[in-house]
Amino acid sequence: MKLYCLSGHPTLPCNVLKFKSTTIMLDCGLDTTAALYFLPLPLVHSPRLSKLPGWVSKDGAINLEKELKECSGRVFVDSQPEFCLPEKELLDLSTIDVILISNYHCMMALPYITEHTGFTGTVYATEPTLQIGRLLMEELVTFMERVPKAQAATCWKNKEIQRLLPGPLKDAVDVWSWRKCYSVQEVNSALSKVQLVGYSQKVELFGAVQVTPLSSGYSLGSSNWIIQSHYEKVSYVSGSSLLTTHPQPMEQSSLKNSDVLILTGLTQIPTANPDGMLGEFCSNLSMTIRAGGNVLVPCYSSGVIYDLLECLYQFMDSANLGSTPFYFISPVANSSLEFSQIFAEWLCQNKQSKVYLPEPPFPHAELIQTNKLKHYPSIHGDFSSEFRQPCVVFTGHPSLRFGDVVHFMELWGKSSLNTIIFTEPDFSYLDALAPYQPLAMKCVYCPIDTRLNFHQVSKLLKDIQPLHVVCPEPYTQPPPAQPHRSDLMLELQPPPMSYRRCSVLGLPFRRRYERIHLLPELARSLVPSEIKAGVSVATVSAVLQSKDNKHVLQPVPKPAPVPPSKKRKRVMEEPPEVLNPKPLLSGAVPLEPFLATLHKNGITEVKVEETADGHILHLQTEDVLIQLEEDATHIICDNNEPLRTALRDLVLRFLQKL
Amino acid sequence: MDSDCLSLLPAVCLVLADPKQSPPDDTSLEKLLDWFKELHSQSNGQVLLQHQPCLLEFISNVCTSKTTDPAILSFTLKLTGLLAATTQGFNLLDEGGLLVYVFEREAWGVCDLWEDASVRSGWLQGLLDMLKHQQALGFICGNGLIKVILQLQNDRSLFVACLANQLLVHILNFLTSSNMTSGSDVVGSSESSLRPDWVSASSEIMNAVVEALSSEDCPRVLQGLRLLSLVLSQCGEPIISTLWKDVLVPLEVFVNRGSESLIQTLITVLEAALGTPLLSQSEYKVEELLEAMLGDGNRKECFQCAALIVKLEKCPEVLKRKATDIILLPLQCVSTQPQAEKEINVVLKEQLSQKASCISLLMQSLSSLAQLAHTKYLFEDISIHSITSSVALLLRMCSGHCPSSLLHINAFTHLIGCCKVQRCGLDTLGALSVYEENLDLRKDIFGVLLDYLQSPDSHATVLKKTFQAVKRWIVCSPFPDLLQFISHDLFPVLEKRMCDLRWEVRDSTLEFITQLTAALNGNSGFSEALHTSGMVSVLLSSLADAEGYVRASAVAAVGEAVTASFHQTVLVSNSKLLEDALMQMMAILSQDTEGFPRRAVVQAFTSWLKGSHLIMALESSLSSVLSLGGSDFDWEVKMHTLELAEVLMEKTLTCCPYAVQNFGSSEETRFTQALIKFKDFGLFDLLFNSLFDCDRPVCEKACALLVKLGTLTAETADLDHSILVLNVCGNRWGDEVQRRYLNKQQAKASVCVTNGVTGSDEGTDCDLHCTKDISLPKILQILDLDDMQRMLTLSSDHVVNSPRSLMEDILSAAQQSEENIVDCY
Repeated sequence: MKLYCLSGHPTLPCNVLKFKSTTIMLDCGLDTTAALYFLPLPLVHSPRLSKLPGWVSKDGAINLEKELKECSGRVFVDSQPEFCLPEKELLDLSTIDVILISNYHCMMALPYITEHTGFTGTVYATEPTLQIGRLLMEELVTFMERVPKAQAATCWKNKEIQRLLPGPLKDAVDVWSWRKCYSVQEVNSALSKVQLVGYSQKVELFGAVQVTPLSSGYSLGSSNWIIQSHYEKVSYVSGSSLLTTHPQPMEQSSLKNSDVLILTGLTQIPTANPDGMLGEFCSNLSMTIRAGGNVLVPCYSSGVIYDLLECLYQFMDSANLGSTPFYFISPVANSSLEFSQIFAEWLCQNKQSKVYLPEPPFPHAELIQTNKLKHYPSIHGDFSSEFRQPCVVFTGHPSLRFGDVVHFMELWGKSSLNTIIFTEPDFSYLDALAPYQPLAMKCVYCPIDTRLNFHQVSKLLKDIQPLHVVCPEPYTQPPPAQPHRSDLMLELQPPPMSYRRCSVLGLPFRRRYERIHLLPELARSLVPSEIKAGVSVATVSAVLQSKDNKHVLQPVPKPAPVPPSKKRKRVMEEPPEVLNPKPLLSGAVPLEPFLATLHKNGITEVKVEETADGHILHLQTEDVLIQLEEDATHIICDNNEPLRTALRDLVLRFLQKL
Repeated sequence: MDSDCLSLLPAVCLVLADPKQSPPDDTSLEKLLDWFKELHSQSNGQVLLQHQPCLLEFISNVCTSKTTDPAILSFTLKLTGLLAATTQGFNLLDEGGLLVYVFEREAWGVCDLWEDASVRSGWLQGLLDMLKHQQALGFICGNGLIKVILQLQNDRSLFVACLANQLLVHILNFLTSSNMTSGSDVVGSSESSLRPDWVSASSEIMNAVVEALSSEDCPRVLQGLRLLSLVLSQCGEPIISTLWKDVLVPLEVFVNRGSESLIQTLITVLEAALGTPLLSQSEYKVEELLEAMLGDGNRKECFQCAALIVKLEKCPEVLKRKATDIILLPLQCVSTQPQAEKEINVVLKEQLSQKASCISLLMQSLSSLAQLAHTKYLFEDISIHSITSSVALLLRMCSGHCPSSLLHINAFTHLIGCCKVQRCGLDTLGALSVYEENLDLRKDIFGVLLDYLQSPDSHATVLKKTFQAVKRWIVCSPFPDLLQFISHDLFPVLEKRMCDLRWEVRDSTLEFITQLTAALNGNSGFSEALHTSGMVSVLLSSLADAEGYVRASAVAAVGEAVTASFHQTVLVSNSKLLEDALMQMMAILSQDTEGFPRRAVVQAFTSWLKGSHLIMALESSLSSVLSLGGSDFDWEVKMHTLELAEVLMEKTLTCCPYAVQNFGSSEETRFTQALIKFKDFGLFDLLFNSLFDCDRPVCEKACALLVKLGTLTAETADLDHSILVLNVCGNRWGDEVQRRYLNKQQAKASVCVTNGVTGSDEGTDCDLHCTKDISLPKILQILDLDDMQRMLTLSSDHVVNSPRSLMEDILSAAQQSEENIVDCY
């Protein structure tokens, strides 16, 4: 059993598990942090961005004015943003049988995997994962295609040139594997390969293994997976949460008794408690609004935003924000808000029960109804005429490199009354803000990551007790910035196996059993004999048939009755001679009784020598050696076949025959 | 009243003794006993028993009955004890052998009633009540009851066991005092003068203590120790020293064994011993024992012991120092670098590596430290500076910061985010602000406190403690850059906290601002900072908070801010502030749906009025406040309004700023002018309306104020009544005044008629019809305020709470149950 690690990112995993005869890809997350090296894509012409000076090396030797621009002492690539894909060289992607998706954030690289690679397998995901994943992909494509860039910058990637660039561009790795965003066609084609599954549904893969999604409590439709054969169980835990937010709570008990647990997707900000951050978010928001400023919340169009809106719904009146408009701007804003309301069965109990009242499960429906929350596909169109300030704007993309957020950064960045509040933990907020410097607006970093923290994980693992744990390398040591926080790492016994990008791990357990079915008629023919209480054995002669990874023992076909023919039988037609198998022996030869028996049979001069494995009996008169060992008995006797046979029969008296 | 009750007593006794009746509830029986106690204290038992033979009959019936209820028996035992508390009562009960019958449980009709804990407790209580004279003591000793009491000392019911201990101590005390009164106070020879059965009684008790302490049974040892500590704290010589000599050996054994379950009780014993003359005599080894309990700080239980010793009031200095050194060890161990030469305390290190013991040890350490700081204890071997730094560092560790040099102790991970330690640490840090030596640490400490205020993870209770600590450190000694700190560091955090998601946090932030403003009252720099930093506008916007408590705190904070603003030189913004504040506060008083904010508004007015600056500015709003507050439906708002009226009266009558300052105007004129002013404010409407309010405290307060006013009016001889005429029509109090007025007139008229004075007296006629306007002094006179005040001081349930109603209840319950039976069948 092997695990191929195609991504080293702990929360955007992409691993391939070879288990029995199957090849299973676990998630295909897309690392979009590479976009931070690029200049933002403004929706409206930005004089500031267009006037940025090009970069020329100090000695003037390298001139990349067209490709690289300088802004506040940092250099950015002026091209359509690119993303860092999962490793494609480690393994032939066309051999992948299935892809299991755990949540919509972990499937963004799907088109890169399923398209143009020869992939012919199936992708398994829950319905909300598919639908919201589709929204996020379509949003990403729209963000890119809306602002096409004529040129693609590639010169800077030249190793010799990159070496001379200023940091952090200089230190970017694998730049040649970075790719532009996929197209809508590719998204559609990739998603057409998805087969929907429900929680606890058992899916057979080629009869060899069974995979089952379990609720992971992180987002709508998010799942952990169990991959098991008859005798082995691998659990894949990715992006799980024990907090009471909107999704169905995490199912833990089914994860028990795993041989291997692959653990990914823990919280990215282990020191920030989501409740505290939510409080911080609200107080900063309210402070800004009270002072007459606007609040910008760069966020994904699904996920934490539902919780933020719910929290604000409760907080608004107490903070006197009743009349402040909230805007949600995204090409998929409408669908996201509506989808969230229809996936009732995937929600927590509290929200599910609302559906029977009937009420919309999320309170943002009421915010929309009362006109407190308005959503628009983009800043163009209705928004520009209806927009009034001070207000709160939720919009993407959290990297601040594309999407409508770019416009608001340009619009509001100059005033210190305004505040930008980062809630998504995926990007370093300082890097995200770099191309907007100098910035007057206030910045608040309140990352809300509801995924498991180390404390919760260690409790969970204590509870479910897997034999082995596999996890990304960063989880096995304290965060680099806080080396003294030994509580922010996994400390397990035995220590977890860690992986990084391009690792290939041999998982530490051997398959020892396989299940084989006996046909009833074969079973009837067996003659079991009890070798000890409750244990019977029988010899079987049968034909083993293996098909679809299922093994069946069938009776040996009887030779066809020989047709009465005078003709000489042809040798070819002769059925194989079925010999009666020799009986199998079991038991041990006890020394004293055996010596007594020898004595009775006239062999009196026996010298017994004790060895490590048993005894050697030297029959001195006959000059014969009998070695009695735990699992073998040898009679060494030169040229005296009758004596050997006699001795053999004496030995056999003490053994059982099957 | 009592004679009425006494007439009901026989019937009540019959009901209580009737086994067919279900007994009244415990409270009724307790109340009945209280009544007997009161009767007993007023008269003497003999009278009661003699006049109420039904009681003797009742007692004997209950004891002989085969179907007595345990509650009734318990009641009877207590009652008998009460009645026998005087020698006459005792003799009367003893004459017919009734007393023995009552307290000899073998004599009872139902023996297994003893199994009921309430009966055992009643038995003990009866004896305890009875034990007021030597005959009672003789009765107890002579009938071998001591043995039973000693058995009860180990009763499974804690109440019974505790009562038994009290009784035993009482007996011992009584033995000693009887001895004293008999004239012999020479230690040693004292016992010889006691009656022989008494001597054996006291030695029986003391032997029982010694036996208990030598026993292997932990609960028995604990009871023995408890009795010992009671004896030490309540008895005198020679009992104490005699007993101490006998128990010293087992005590030493316990101390050296260091049994965890006994520590608390052992310390209580030793604490009691500290308060006795035993301490001064070295052969009694009190100090030695305490010191032995501490050991060298390397036993598991020594920390608990040290924490208890630190709390002791009368504790020898040396011992206290040692205990202090030990109790500080956990704190120092966690927050200071180990010194190579100093041996690391293995026991401590092990305890600190386990979460539960680590937290409890540190809490003990911190709270003991806080306790020492409250008394401004002088530390000797260790500087207060380093202790304070340790506490600050510990608090940092609780929020996840830890210098790598301290990672040798496993405790760090247990501390991160631990609210208990945080709260305790903050309390301690606050307490340490009293030491002047810490002044140079202030920067560091404010850094820690600010971190706590800023941290999104700080729990609401932790924040509250942080605020308290900040206040203590700011107030202890204002430093030069205090204002800089407040306006640059503190205010921005407070502003954010006032927008917190949790109302508790918003509330405690506002409370903190109020306290800080009040504490720095007079500091013009502070009030200037308060205004220039925009804090005031944030405070004003908090007046519209969704949570009532927060609005109330905001009102208080704004109130303080306004008060503070009058120390400022720039007055323009102040009048604007006052105007805004008044407008919003009046809106709260008239419209707010919750009581707290409305109460706060009236209180703010009261405090403004108490300060002399604001009276003129408030004049326009005062009458509205008085009328709104007086007609509020929350009785506390009304009370606060009356307090406001009281302050207004005091201020006006003492300094009278409203009076036209005529030179040479007499006291009387000024008084009249003040009364006119009151009338304009609607003060009389408020007082008279409140006088007839449905809430008694309100009436009481209003009445008190009116009485005061009445006295002043009466004292002012030449008061012009015509000036102070009030309209008594169209309001409730007016109607009442009119009714009383007419009643009086009619009474007067009828007196006239009976006296044979016929014909219409002009004056009377006129008075009878012209009741629309009456002068204030007249109204005060009509109302008969003194009588009203007397009635009001009686509690509102004084009618239903009387013993008579209690007895009637018992009787009617019995009747009803009979009726019910009839109904059912």
